[in-house]
Amino acid sequence: MFLTDFLYLLREHGIAVSLTDALDFYRGLEKGLAPDLDSLFLFARLSFVRRVEQMDAFERAFAFHFFGVDLPRVAPGDPALFETRQFREWLKEAIRNRELPPHALWTLPPEELMRRFWETVQKQMEAHHGGSRFVGTGGNSPFGHSGNAAGGVRVHGQSGRRSALKVIGERRYVEYAAEATLQGGNLSQALASLRNLVPAGPRDQLDLPETIDRSAKNGGEIDLAFRRDLLDRIEVVLLVDNGGSSMLPYVALTRLLFGKLRDRVKRLSTYFFHNTVYGAVYRDPWRSDPLAVDELLKRPPEVRLVFLGDATMAPDELLSPHGSIDLRADDSRPSLAQLRRLALRFPRAVWLNPISRDSWREVHGSLTIARIGEVFPMEDLTLGGIKRAVERLNGARVRGR
Amino acid sequence: MEFTGSDNYYLDPELGAIVNMALVMEKPLLLTGEAGTGKTQLAFEISHSFGMPIEVLRCKSTIKGEEACYVQDTVLRLNDARFGTAGTGREVNNFFDYVIWGPIGRAFRAKQRVVLLLDEIDKTESDVQDNLLDVLEDCQFTLREVNQVVQAEIRPFIVLTSNAKRELSDPFLRRCYCHPIAFPDPGQMREIVKLHFPDLEKGLLDAALAIFYDLRQRGYEKPPATSELLNWLGALQHARATPERLNIPFVGTLLKRTEDILAYRAGGKRPVH
Repeated sequence: MFLTDFLYLLREHGIAVSLTDALDFYRGLEKGLAPDLDSLFLFARLSFVRRVEQMDAFERAFAFHFFGVDLPRVAPGDPALFETRQFREWLKEAIRNRELPPHALWTLPPEELMRRFWETVQKQMEAHHGGSRFVGTGGNSPFGHSGNAAGGVRVHGQSGRRSALKVIGERRYVEYAAEATLQGGNLSQALASLRNLVPAGPRDQLDLPETIDRSAKNGGEIDLAFRRDLLDRIEVVLLVDNGGSSMLPYVALTRLLFGKLRDRVKRLSTYFFHNTVYGAVYRDPWRSDPLAVDELLKRPPEVRLVFLGDATMAPDELLSPHGSIDLRADDSRPSLAQLRRLALRFPRAVWLNPISRDSWREVHGSLTIARIGEVFPMEDLTLGGIKRAVERLNGARVRGR
Repeated sequence: MEFTGSDNYYLDPELGAIVNMALVMEKPLLLTGEAGTGKTQLAFEISHSFGMPIEVLRCKSTIKGEEACYVQDTVLRLNDARFGTAGTGREVNNFFDYVIWGPIGRAFRAKQRVVLLLDEIDKTESDVQDNLLDVLEDCQFTLREVNQVVQAEIRPFIVLTSNAKRELSDPFLRRCYCHPIAFPDPGQMREIVKLHFPDLEKGLLDAALAIFYDLRQRGYEKPPATSELLNWLGALQHARATPERLNIPFVGTLLKRTEDILAYRAGGKRPVH
């Protein structure tokens, strides 16, 4: 059936549709909650989408199923468009129909190609304002056309509401998609999952059994006993690679990460290193105030360790004793050995790499990325990457990948 | 019964439709979004427009969940056990003389349908959320001391809000209808402002909104939200001032953090973006 196919399409788009959800959804349709396509869009979204990361995928699935418009997963204006299947298919088609010259990819400026692509999408979307594939199903529509639902509740009509197509066209949620790279807004969303539970509060909870116990011993005179409350407290050590120029493009992103982390954790200490860690890390970005790794290892093992660096360097810097290019560093042990000591002490650690995961095997430095990746779980700075990183920091099993 | 907003609250039609769907399906409605998008206000508007009483639980990180249903005034009971209940009308052996109902308890015991608002649910610990899950799903909880079940006769309409300070668990999300409220676009903001300042000059409003959305673009640590805009407009109107882009009067009503104000004075963007 047409609608059931849609539920399977949602699954293909990474939105888990449970049987309960589906049954509730059909129950709502019977109650007349979706008298028109725009209501159906809202109701289906409400029924199946739980997280803002899934919104864009849902909108794309809806556009594809009900309007036959195949949207790429990037927003208009994003040059990542050129890597999408939709763009390549469109280009092939346009060249075949002689709408574009044979070597358009090289002869036309990229902005022009982008503009032409999105214009085509726009036209497809507009073409559906009148007759859509959905309408084309004729009398098989499963929705009651009466707006009167059971229980005397009338569902809001069309008036003033933007149509589903218009909403989808805006791509409001594309930056929240799991594959999106990090920006201000979606970063805090990812870090929100950092949490911990250890007793740390003041003794302000009345301990009833203890009170009764003590009062009994006290000959019936009331003797109140208090115990500690549970409180959130999480300690993070952030180690930032700020050496050389290789990290320069990521400084802004790094600072953003700082700012956001500060809201989320009770105690955050930041240290710096150059390319990789040798005998010491530094308290200041200029690396003049060292803290020996041995001192760092005295921190309790519950500490979360977060590295931020591109893990890109000459193999010698990582693998050999005296590998540091910085003459001041105590580098009698190879850096990799120091990293292993840290990993042993702090099991909940993660290495965040600003280089996108897809290019780890190809970039200059793929060797050191792989070797460090054996010591610390490595994630990239996409929303999905941060989420998995946070799960690792929480010590939970990591979903996906 | 249809929810259409009220006189001093601008209801986005999409949000209105969603509220009605949740009402029909009797599902808890979880609203997320940044501060100033009117999440909490919405629950009060629903209560107001349907004449349903509202019970509010303002969540804190220290909350356990059970006290949202009920607490036993143990200190009073201990005191009564020691010193007697003469003249108080209480009976030490009667548990119910010492129960203080929490918002959830009151909502479940109500004789009519009520709106139950759990405000900023993300502030609670995740195991508290898991505990509340079953309570809200079945609309019942157990009084542990006397092993007695309190069951709601009429399911309350449950509204939850979250600032996404902490992420909610998957099982929790599965039980709710979730809707992220987007920040109002300039058109919607115009409607909101109109409700609060019906006689604001159009020229002033245009200029103010342009500056407001420009400031929000700049990546400040705490970008101004709706309430800041309304306060600022109030101040502008009161002082009969005209907003200028380069020298915003009463900038302190829009930007709250020192770093943000300094960055603004230094001529623009924070280096973060």
